[in-house]
Amino acid sequence: MENQEQLTQVKKAERWFDKNYKLLMLIPIMVTIVCFVYLVIFYSQNQSFILKDVSLSGGTTITLNGNIDADKLQSALEQKYQGNFVLRKLTDVRSGQVLAVVVETPLDSNIVKADIESALGIQLTSENSSIEFTGSNLSNNFYNQLMIALLISFVLMSIVIFFLFKTFIPSIAVIFAAFSDIVMPLALIDFLGIRVSAAGIAAFLMLVGYSVDTDILLTTRALKKREGTLNKRIFGAFKVGILMTLTALFAVLPAFFIVTGLPDSFRQIFLILALGLVADIINTWLTNVGIIKWYCTKKGIN
Amino acid sequence: MKLHWRIWVLIAVLVACALFIFPPGLLFQNGVTIQGIEKNSTEYIQGLRNGMIITSINSIAINNVEDYNNALPKIFLNNSETTKITMAADGNNFVFFAQDGFNFMVTDIQKTRLKTGLDLSGGARALVKAANKTLSESEVNDLIAITNQRSNGYGIKDITIKPVKDLSGNNYMLIEVAGATTSDMQDLVLSQGKFEGKIGNITIFSGGKDISHVERSGQQSGIEACYANENGGEYCRFRFPISLTEEAAKRQAAVTGNLTISLENPEYLSEKLDLYLDDNLMDSLFISKDLKGQVATQILIQGSGSGKDRSEAIADAQKEMSKLQTILITGSLPYKLEIVKLDTISPTLGREFTKNLIILAAVVFVLISVVLFIRYRKIKITSSVILTMFSEAFITLGIAALINWNLDAPSIAGIIAGMGTGVNDQIVIIDESVSNVQASLKERIKNAFFIIIGAFFTIIASMLPLFWAGAGMLKGFALTTILSVSVGILITRPAFAEIIRKIIKD
Repeated sequence: MENQEQLTQVKKAERWFDKNYKLLMLIPIMVTIVCFVYLVIFYSQNQSFILKDVSLSGGTTITLNGNIDADKLQSALEQKYQGNFVLRKLTDVRSGQVLAVVVETPLDSNIVKADIESALGIQLTSENSSIEFTGSNLSNNFYNQLMIALLISFVLMSIVIFFLFKTFIPSIAVIFAAFSDIVMPLALIDFLGIRVSAAGIAAFLMLVGYSVDTDILLTTRALKKREGTLNKRIFGAFKVGILMTLTALFAVLPAFFIVTGLPDSFRQIFLILALGLVADIINTWLTNVGIIKWYCTKKGIN
Repeated sequence: MKLHWRIWVLIAVLVACALFIFPPGLLFQNGVTIQGIEKNSTEYIQGLRNGMIITSINSIAINNVEDYNNALPKIFLNNSETTKITMAADGNNFVFFAQDGFNFMVTDIQKTRLKTGLDLSGGARALVKAANKTLSESEVNDLIAITNQRSNGYGIKDITIKPVKDLSGNNYMLIEVAGATTSDMQDLVLSQGKFEGKIGNITIFSGGKDISHVERSGQQSGIEACYANENGGEYCRFRFPISLTEEAAKRQAAVTGNLTISLENPEYLSEKLDLYLDDNLMDSLFISKDLKGQVATQILIQGSGSGKDRSEAIADAQKEMSKLQTILITGSLPYKLEIVKLDTISPTLGREFTKNLIILAAVVFVLISVVLFIRYRKIKITSSVILTMFSEAFITLGIAALINWNLDAPSIAGIIAGMGTGVNDQIVIIDESVSNVQASLKERIKNAFFIIIGAFFTIIASMLPLFWAGAGMLKGFALTTILSVSVGILITRPAFAEIIRKIIKD
């Protein structure tokens, strides 16, 4: 009796999916278009697709270890730099203890070091502080090269996908999903005003390769396997794919929420990977699934 | 229980990595490691070298740096007196005389071969290029040689200098120094190198302007002969000609004209030609008596290298010769240098980061185990996934140690992200294996591998450009990710597939 009821429910769900999959497919496409337009506007305003941190725009990052009076430093630097700096605390989530205070500014490291020393009345040594300085020429060069690398990475990934499936539409579907996996987190990061580091762009490169495995799984199951109905194969792939994304999220999220006392560049890699993985859930299981189902129906693959 | 060969391969690789990361010899070894030994010091001539492990000095057992520091005052009771030293290092006894301490530093023995990068161990790093000039590869190599020389002059130890190249073909010099400060680094790089050849107090020639040619190879360049050293070991003499400008040759003639013949070495003049780099004496060369008062535009530079045996002496002489040639060619750089990136990382913060990275890895393991157990409800399956994940990370670390890779924060991020993809692939294998279909288990695992190989190549393709972009500063991230997925596809996943096959059959 219970089985019968379950069966009817499954059939109902299948019928609903068959009727609405093209509509569902449009949701991520619309989101991608909105994000893309946002990025174009963002680019026209900032001449860059991201808000660059000092590793990409040039300047100094000083990390002060231990118990530092952040408010005192904030007000002292505010007077000197008039907002031309960012100050944040690196806090250990478990203990709530401030591990370090980070100051970022486009100014030269010697000037910032002297100003912090006079504000706090302490001498900055290699024991109590880390100083990172990147010249503006190099940082511009870094940014341009990493963007080129991102493009190359995307092209190489596309070649691999075409080689793997050797059919146009399914390959394009995977490549579009990867594209959306990058565009969505990028737009969100820009919207939230997060400054992206060189390591952050490296995370986008990894996202290109990291996010497509569920798409490969779906496409392979739908096209290459012939057991069960198409809907069953898609649902099977969905169950596995969601578990894959979930475990991947559990691998990357602790660096952001549980163990927070880590280098900023390191945490940003994981934030971007996490956002990309979340974007991948809708891109794979709404858009890509829709394209594949439509393609299989057209080609008579059931 | 009979194990499949794929599982044996995994076990063998794991054991090899364990032995490599934690060499048993080092794990149970007591003593201190020699570092920064001064060349031509008594200790060096006696055969002591960087990296050797001292286990006792004058019968006082040395187990660690603390023992060493406690032993020194006992050995050198009276600072002004020369003391006989019997030092046991690397299984040999070295006997020599010393006064008031040794010409080297010591550190505790590193128990693992894993090396951490600057952002985790602390130190300074500078990326250097020529201002308003694109350096060629050979110019960067000359620049590196000269900077190495100058760092010795500045007394900077534990320095790594290497060339790096970026996607646009720019060549940089990357300097990393443990324990240096920003100003040390700026002094080393930004103050222009100054090379001078002096007789007494008079400068005969300066590098970069008075030397028109240095013969690096050819009949007259090379090792002349080798001899036994009085204190043991051997030394070899080298020579090579250089051409001076007319002006410098005249200066030399004027100065040598006033010199007398040396009483001790009648073949040579009474004073030597001293070579200075940044006002530090690098070498003193004998001047042949035939050159007295002569306007010689071509002079022969001679020198020597020493070692505990003939081959070490030859290698040292060749190194010395190349060093001198480089100094003479590029002693004073024909371009200004610019530091385009300068980072100094506090070792205290680095230690905090390392501790948190270990906690992070543990948290990731626990969380993934919980998720997988909730999904599969089988201890055997969950534990085999965790074991495989651990193996992948461990083998990646083993390879990093093997290739001498410095693990920085991006490298560790690559390993953790690699663990994420590894688990994904294992989920695909489990799912294909337990799926209730007609195809044989072998066929189903083959299907899983199609997906895994596809995902593998997309990761490789996406990470490859990082090797060159941004002067390779994020190379570690790309390297460990690629290593981790490659270890997965070649070693751990085939073994995991066999383990799952066995679990399902049972």
